[in-house]
Amino acid sequence: MLMIKQWAHRFFQWFCHPDFYDEIQGDLEELYRRNLVQGKRRAQWQYLGRVLGLFRPSLMRSFSHDLLMNLPMFKNYFKISLRNLLRYKLFATINILGLAIGLAAFLLINEYIRFEESYDGFFSGADQIYRLSTVQVVNDEIGVKDAMTYHPAAKVLHDELPEVEDYTVTYKFGELVFRQEDKLISEEQVIAADANFFNVFDYQVIQGSANDMLAEPNTLVLTQSKAEFYFGDQDPIGETLEILGRFNQAFKVTGVIQDIPENTHYKFDMLMSDESIKEQYENDDWNGFNYYAYLKLKPQANIFEVKDKVDDLSRKYLGEEGSMGFNLFPITDIHLKSDYTFEAEIPGSEKAVTFTRIIALFILFIAWINYINLSTARAVNRAKEVGLRKTVGAYKVQIIGQFLFEALLVNFLAALIALLLSELSLPYFRQLVGQAFLPHVWNHPPFLYSLLTFFVVGSLASGFYPALILSGFKPVAVLKGKYRNSKSGALLRKGLVVVQFTASVVLIAGTFIVYQQLRYMQGKDLGISTDFVVGVNMPRGQNNEEARERITTQIQSFKDALRQHSAIETVGGTSNLPGGDGSDINSNAGKLRIVGLTDRQTGTIYLQFNDEDFLAAVNMQLLYGRNFDRNRVADSSVVMVNQAFLRKFNISDEQSVLNEYLQFGEDDTNRKFEIIGVVKDFNRTSLKSSVEPTLYLPDYAPAASVVKLNPEQYQEGLAYLQETWAEFFPDTPLDYTFLDDRFAALYEQDRRFGEIFSTLSVLAILIAILGLFGLSSFMAVQRTTEVGVRKVLGASVPSIIGIFYKDFLVLLGISGLIGIPATYFGMNSWLENYAYRIDFPWLLAILAVGIVTVFALITVGYQIYQVAILDPAKTLRED
Amino acid sequence: MKAYPLGEFEEIVLLTVGVLYNEAYGVAIKDAIEEKAARNVSVGALQSALKRLEKKGYLESRTGESNEQRGGKPKRYYTITAYGKQALQESRDIRTQLWESIPKLALDFKCS
Repeated sequence: MLMIKQWAHRFFQWFCHPDFYDEIQGDLEELYRRNLVQGKRRAQWQYLGRVLGLFRPSLMRSFSHDLLMNLPMFKNYFKISLRNLLRYKLFATINILGLAIGLAAFLLINEYIRFEESYDGFFSGADQIYRLSTVQVVNDEIGVKDAMTYHPAAKVLHDELPEVEDYTVTYKFGELVFRQEDKLISEEQVIAADANFFNVFDYQVIQGSANDMLAEPNTLVLTQSKAEFYFGDQDPIGETLEILGRFNQAFKVTGVIQDIPENTHYKFDMLMSDESIKEQYENDDWNGFNYYAYLKLKPQANIFEVKDKVDDLSRKYLGEEGSMGFNLFPITDIHLKSDYTFEAEIPGSEKAVTFTRIIALFILFIAWINYINLSTARAVNRAKEVGLRKTVGAYKVQIIGQFLFEALLVNFLAALIALLLSELSLPYFRQLVGQAFLPHVWNHPPFLYSLLTFFVVGSLASGFYPALILSGFKPVAVLKGKYRNSKSGALLRKGLVVVQFTASVVLIAGTFIVYQQLRYMQGKDLGISTDFVVGVNMPRGQNNEEARERITTQIQSFKDALRQHSAIETVGGTSNLPGGDGSDINSNAGKLRIVGLTDRQTGTIYLQFNDEDFLAAVNMQLLYGRNFDRNRVADSSVVMVNQAFLRKFNISDEQSVLNEYLQFGEDDTNRKFEIIGVVKDFNRTSLKSSVEPTLYLPDYAPAASVVKLNPEQYQEGLAYLQETWAEFFPDTPLDYTFLDDRFAALYEQDRRFGEIFSTLSVLAILIAILGLFGLSSFMAVQRTTEVGVRKVLGASVPSIIGIFYKDFLVLLGISGLIGIPATYFGMNSWLENYAYRIDFPWLLAILAVGIVTVFALITVGYQIYQVAILDPAKTLRED
Repeated sequence: MKAYPLGEFEEIVLLTVGVLYNEAYGVAIKDAIEEKAARNVSVGALQSALKRLEKKGYLESRTGESNEQRGGKPKRYYTITAYGKQALQESRDIRTQLWESIPKLALDFKCS
């Protein structure tokens, strides 16, 4: 409170014309003292009031000299700045290059993040579009979240809720094989959609009518590039394409739409009318949730009210006691925030985006710090200039203006180079992040705006403090030659160097940890052996009993044929190949009990269907009991369980469940499955998830085969596999992968994150070292005389270097003390994503500090050495 | 057209400076106006009027003594110049003329 008068006085002093100042200030003071009798506070307010009353043009000083719009002066600033840059080429290069690299990296990452966050935002009314999905509620907690829903669900919500404007239901096919003339083409991005599709997703229709091109059965809508692929310049409308497998008939092309952009979670190349799969969805009805459904709400709808109503409808349609529920999820959040299984494509990771953003900021700050450190450290060189300018009448503001202008110039050059750098490195960057998101940056307005913004922000952020320091020199002291860098300035520089070191430590340690975790996951014993095991998807029969039986026999003879060859050790079958993504499995969410041993329990149980040879093919270990046996009639109702399943049911004596019976559902008369074996836990998917409670059921003609090759002649075996396939299934392309590769592919995103992390870390450290290089070179030159005197007095070169090292070692020590805990908190939160994770590797963190120390000491040592080897007779003569 | 431009507030300030004669400095002028003309005067308005008057040549000033009350800052004393006196004179003449040319009836009010 008592500061009012002081501030008012300062303000007055600032604006008042100096000719009037003494008089008026005296009057003010006299009046203030007189007013004091009414209380100090009141007097101060009155004082302030008077000062404000005095703020009028006739009493103000002239501000005209502050106007930086002084062209000749600008020319002079420009000339001086340029001369300084050219004179100290090393520092200019370090400054400009550091800023340019930092800015380029930051802006590219900025674009990438913008792209990641732009997913599905381009539909009109995107924020009113929600995906209808299914969640399982166990004990009032959401258990499994499934991105898909029941076929009739969306229509029901549309009919019941006035807030729902429109809806569409789609089905995503796995793979369909197309035939055009004698070519077989495998299409993986085909979805079946209803006629409402374009009411929700307003893709641009190029040919055909949006409302009825999906109305008839057996029709297709192609994207523009697919249409070109199949029909070239021909008009595709009315042409036909044959789909093999389950359809085995010709489909008519009824429309062409724009290509689907990269930034949508639901990509496709073709749409099929949902009438074509009518039989399937009528069968599924309320039994299976295999459909992606989307609702578009009315603009005025309140999502919270709608969600409440949806909860009520869940009970109405999915049963009071049922554990399933509808859920709405905004489509714009799907890409980064979805934690649902069975996503249409592997979603991005919000955490990775956040981490990347932080690293990008690190890089930018490190570059700015370089500028600040180098400019303030080198202030001595400019002190005389400032002193002289002040002596001939320059105001402080003008000098601040001059140095800000200089910062602006340096940053401008850096921005130009950054533009060039980011354009040139864009292809590599796209590869690094694995997103094809931007053809060019130089003609991309958002990028240019960001460039402009950060050029201005950067100029101010990096230029303001040095300008303030430089403009503060007292001319008398400086011109007398009494100038020295101030203590507080040196302290600030040290602080900033610590920030840079700390950031480097965190980044190096972070990189190590990401790679360590990756190595751990790829090297961990999965519980099965996947070496030289090939997974092959079997052809699927058409949708009728007869055709299915035919294909089953064919598959059987194919497998028998494979077994004939010596290069093939085992051929097994399974419903879900190991190494698929988390949702590539069957599950059951109903009640389940072990008859006589446990009560009925709810919670998701995973189901895999294998034949008797699967066990041997992947070396899955049977702990107790026996394998399936297709010759026993009773073996259609048997099951094997894994250890995780027994843990879920709290059974510690694993052997005790043998020959007991499993029963699904609530009804005591339901079919019972005899437990014939207990298998050792194995990871079927990425180590982000733990081993799920799983049941293994017999299926002697499952969807995929696992072929264990003889390691010594695996190429021969592979060749034989291809030949045999072509012989048995000429209509279907062979689709095989090594299981090892499937597992490696699961870590693709993590590997990519590791690459981004390490690349950016290298950049950040490079810029930091660049800055340190400049700073230490300057410091060494500054202390040339000191070094000379020390040498004359008998100091050796190593002992001189040691003196300089002492300072830096302290800074490095502090960086380690801050950096290691910072890494611990940051990286632990990343490691928590994984069910199987490494412990925090303290040794690696210390190693990171070691690496930064070595780099720093080499850099500093090199510069000191340059000075220390000089002949003191020469260096000392100069003074 | 007046030969000597003089605003109403300026006139009061100028007169007061005359009244105070050798003692006319900022605070004293302010106090005097507040007392005699029964109106509040802000330092800002007063100071800008003083500066204006000085610029017009109606006032001149000299630096005076300082004291503890003023935080060591000197007073500035104002005195009327001959030119200022003429300005006052002219203003007064105009008023008198106007006053005298008012018909008697126009002012025939009973003021109770």
